[in-house]
Amino acid sequence: MKAIQVEKLRKSYGAHEVLRGLDLAVEQGEVFALLGVNGAGKTTALECIQGLRSYEKGQVSVNGRMGVQLQSASLPFSIRAMEALSLFARWNGTRAEPGLLETLGIHELGKQLYGKLSPGQKQRLHLALALVGDPDILFLDEPTAGLDVQGRMALRNLLAQLKRQGKTVVLTSHDMGEVENLCDTLAILAKGKVVFAGTPQQLRQQEGRANKVILHTEGETICFSAEDLGRDLLSQLELCRAAGQKVLDIQVERDSLEQCFLRLTKEENR
Amino acid sequence: MKGLFYGVLLQWKMDLRSKTMLIACYLVPLAFFVLMGGIFVSIMPESRQTLTQTMTVFAISMGALIGLPPTLVEFYGSDIRKVYQVSGIPGWVGFVLAMLSAFCHLLLMSVLLFGLSFVCFGGEIPSNLQEYVLALILLLLTSLFMAGVVGLGVKDQAKTSLFSILLFLPSILLSGVFFPAELLSPVLEGVGKCFPAFWGSRLLMGGFHWTDILPLVGLLFLYGGICILLLKKN
Repeated sequence: MKAIQVEKLRKSYGAHEVLRGLDLAVEQGEVFALLGVNGAGKTTALECIQGLRSYEKGQVSVNGRMGVQLQSASLPFSIRAMEALSLFARWNGTRAEPGLLETLGIHELGKQLYGKLSPGQKQRLHLALALVGDPDILFLDEPTAGLDVQGRMALRNLLAQLKRQGKTVVLTSHDMGEVENLCDTLAILAKGKVVFAGTPQQLRQQEGRANKVILHTEGETICFSAEDLGRDLLSQLELCRAAGQKVLDIQVERDSLEQCFLRLTKEENR
Repeated sequence: MKGLFYGVLLQWKMDLRSKTMLIACYLVPLAFFVLMGGIFVSIMPESRQTLTQTMTVFAISMGALIGLPPTLVEFYGSDIRKVYQVSGIPGWVGFVLAMLSAFCHLLLMSVLLFGLSFVCFGGEIPSNLQEYVLALILLLLTSLFMAGVVGLGVKDQAKTSLFSILLFLPSILLSGVFFPAELLSPVLEGVGKCFPAFWGSRLLMGGFHWTDILPLVGLLFLYGGICILLLKKN
């Protein structure tokens, strides 16, 4: 059974159709990224899945308890961090795990009022609140926005830990490096539809352009594009050998995930 | 149930940390009580008979109409509601917690005024305490639901303050606590009857009469119904 299955989802705000028959499937236990340029419909899609927004057509099924960290989240200014955690935990009949609080550095925020926390600290608190109900599926909308290096590292460790526990994680992000490091699969949204679904490697294969190869020889630096890396590199090495040039170094530059994403969304948004 | 109980306790503490609630529920009514109590009793000694009731109606109207709406606007006019909702806490919980907490604060204030009036100014104890308490609870609930309409209906803090004052002033001036309502023109008296303070003051001062209870209960259902509709819309 899939953790999340979305079929032909349609949602409009007035005359503006934001989701135009969205199809998505997320397997249990995987870390999934929903990507797209601003206004592509990511947050609307997530809010429809989370039950925060109604939709006109389509089907959404979510199999498991959800924990959600919203992109725009807030709490009363006069609540203390630990009080918020206690309230949410009691309401869900659970308790805040000390290990989780330590990983996210919530203990140090304990008695501070929400209104006095920095954006990064608020982000960490909202992440802890999303986890306090021991969810099977965790939604993270731009989880690293506002986090410092330590915070990002803590999040990475936490996601790895959640993955080991078999939890499903759905996240949105504009940081492609992060997506590549964290996610098993991804889907790219453009104009309210999925234009790509698969692994980061599949995206590179589908959208990545020829590899750029730089050969440093004793006499010169040779730079060329390789359609077939193995074949083209071998024939260039043969040429160097025939010319008696000693090869000192070989560099291969591939299209980054970011470049693949840009190319795909640029084409789709035309 | 455990979550709801903790929520009320937490909201109570948060209200005390929030300056608006502290000022509207405690500081201003107490300051007003000390000032006006002294003046009333010295120029009209017979006002001792109604001092507790007058000050209680003032405190409840002020605490409810000025104190409660900002808490509701903070919850329903921002993303707080969404955060609660995605964490499995239903949307109505914010309203219920704010109402229960404000009810407790205002009940405590009423008890304080009751005692202080007796100790400081020789205020008279109402002849029938049971009826007094029932009338007090009815007035409190109706005033809070009326304030709830403002807090749920207007989602902007600045506009909420304006609406709160626009309701609070006529509520007090037309309620008959400072001068008899019979002196007002029929139109103004009619306007005054739309406010819980009008019927509440009659119940607290004049005894438990059905002719005063029924309109107040009617207002309670009216404002309560509007709150439910607004909550559903939210």
